[in-house]
Amino acid sequence: MTNSKIKAGHGIKSDSPGLFPDSGVLSYLSTLQCSGCGTEYDYHEIHTFCPNCQSPLLSIYDLKKVRQQVDRDEISSRRKGMWRWHELLPVQDRENIVFLGEGDTALLRLSNFAEELGLTNLFVKDESTNPTGSFKARGLAAAVSKAKELGLKKVIIPTAGNAGGAMAAYAARAGIQAIIYMPKDTPRANIEESRIAGAEVVLVDGLISDAAGMAGERARTEGWFDLSTFKEPYRAEGKKIMGYELAETFNWELPEVILYPTGGGTGLVGMWKAFAELDELGWLANGNRPRMIAVQASGCAPVVKAFESGSTFCDFWLGAQTIASGLRVPKSFADQIILHDIRESNGLAIAVSDSEILEAQKKLGSNEGIFAAPEGAATVAALIKLIEQNQVGKDERIVCFNTGSGLKYLD
Amino acid sequence: MANNVLYIEDNPDNMMLVQRALEARGYRLLKAANGLDGVATAETEPVDLILLDINLPDIDGYEVARRLRSSRKRELNSVPIIAITANALKGDAEKALDAGCDVYMSKPINIRELWARVEAFVPMP
Repeated sequence: MTNSKIKAGHGIKSDSPGLFPDSGVLSYLSTLQCSGCGTEYDYHEIHTFCPNCQSPLLSIYDLKKVRQQVDRDEISSRRKGMWRWHELLPVQDRENIVFLGEGDTALLRLSNFAEELGLTNLFVKDESTNPTGSFKARGLAAAVSKAKELGLKKVIIPTAGNAGGAMAAYAARAGIQAIIYMPKDTPRANIEESRIAGAEVVLVDGLISDAAGMAGERARTEGWFDLSTFKEPYRAEGKKIMGYELAETFNWELPEVILYPTGGGTGLVGMWKAFAELDELGWLANGNRPRMIAVQASGCAPVVKAFESGSTFCDFWLGAQTIASGLRVPKSFADQIILHDIRESNGLAIAVSDSEILEAQKKLGSNEGIFAAPEGAATVAALIKLIEQNQVGKDERIVCFNTGSGLKYLD
Repeated sequence: MANNVLYIEDNPDNMMLVQRALEARGYRLLKAANGLDGVATAETEPVDLILLDINLPDIDGYEVARRLRSSRKRELNSVPIIAITANALKGDAEKALDAGCDVYMSKPINIRELWARVEAFVPMP
C-alpha cells in the first residue's frame, strides 16, 4: 500500500507525508509574551524565559486571523491527534512536527462511580493512552518539534518521571540528543523508557528541584537547551490542546468543574489559556468557564498552602514526600500563573493524602476499569472531599484528569 | 530610612538583575561578590536585609549565615536573610533555614516574587 492510498484517520501513527495539509498557514503564532512584565519576544529566535523579570513566556497567536480563516467545525473532521489544531500550535513548518500519535484521548463517563458518589455527570479525561503512557507526550511533542524547528541539537530536562520518558521518545524521533535528570527513586518504567529511547539518564539523590538545579547547571556549561517546565514557551501549548479537545467533546460548552493534578502546572495553565483563546475566537457556545481545581498531595502542597494563605506565589515546600511522583514538585516555576488562573476561575486548591490516593485508585479500577496513575487518582480523591464539603453540585459536569497509566508505577 | 539591602552574589548577571529590580523600587543595594566580603560589609555598613547566594567562591552561604547570626554586631543576629540558590544539592532549603536564613528562594529569581519577599521585611521606601 502506498501512502497515497492510506486514508486519513485510519490510525497511522507516523509523521509521514499526508498527515498534515500541504498548503495553507500551519501556525498563527505571532509573538512570545512575558507572563510577568508583558515584554514581547520574536518567536523565530530561541528563548527560554523572560530575561527582564524571569517569568515564563507564553505563546500568543493572531486569533483575529484564526477567527476569520479557520473553520472550527472543519477541524473536527481532520485526522485525529493533537496536531489537527495546528493553527493554534507553534510549529511553522510541517516537516518539523514530531508525531507519535499524541492527543485525542478518550473522555469517559464514569456512570458507576458517579452513582456511588451521588453525581450525574462525572467524566475522566484519560490521558494514559498518549504515547509513553502519559499527558507529558503532548507538551514534549510541541516543545521538541519547536526545538527541531529552531535547529536545536541537544535538549535536557529535569523530571519527576513521565516528562523524561516523553522527552526521550520525541527527541529520539527528531534525531536530537537528550539528557534526563531524575530523582533516583523515580518509577523504574520512567528510567527504562528513557534509556531505551537513547537518552542519557542521570539519577539524582534528591527531588525534581534538585534535578532542575543540576540540569540547569549542565545546560549552562555545555550548551544543552533546557526543556524544564515553563523555562521554554512551548510545552504549555501542547498541553493546552486538552482544553480544546474538552470544548469540542462537550459540544463547545465547557464543563463546570475540572480537577487537575498540579505539579508543575503546565496542563492547568495551558487549559486556562485554551479557554481564553476559545472565548476570543468565538468558538464557545457561551462564556461560561470551568472552576479549575488544583489537586496536590498533602506531602507536597505548595499551591494549596499559597492559595489558602492568599499569597500570589508559593514557598518552597520542604521535605516533599508522596507516592504521586508527578506531584512531588516543591515549587513550580509558574506558581504565580497557576495561582492567578485558579483564582480567576473561582476554583480552589486541595490536598489529598497518599492513603486517599490509593483508595481512590482502587475505586476507579473496581468501579470503572481504569488503572489510573496516582496523580490521576488524586483528582478522584479530591472530588470525594469536595462532595463532602459541598463544593460541587450534583448535576454539574465534572471532569477529573487521569494524567497517566498506573502501569508505569508498579515498583 | 531603612532601605539598605546587601546582596552577596558572585554571578554578575544576577547581581545586575537584582540591582535594577530593587533600585527601581527605591532600595539602596550594597554588593559583595564573595562570602567574606559579604560578612565584612554587613559588619561595617548599615544593613536592613540580606540577600544571600548559597554557592559562593570562598565560604558558602550557610557559613555566611552562621557568621552573621553569631556576629558581635548585634543587629546582624536578627537581620532578615533571604537565601537564594539554584538548589543544585539535596536539602539546600533546609540547610539554609538551619543556618539562620529566614526565607528560601530558588533561582531563576522571579522579580515579582523578589519584590514581595523584600517588601515583607523592609517596606518599599
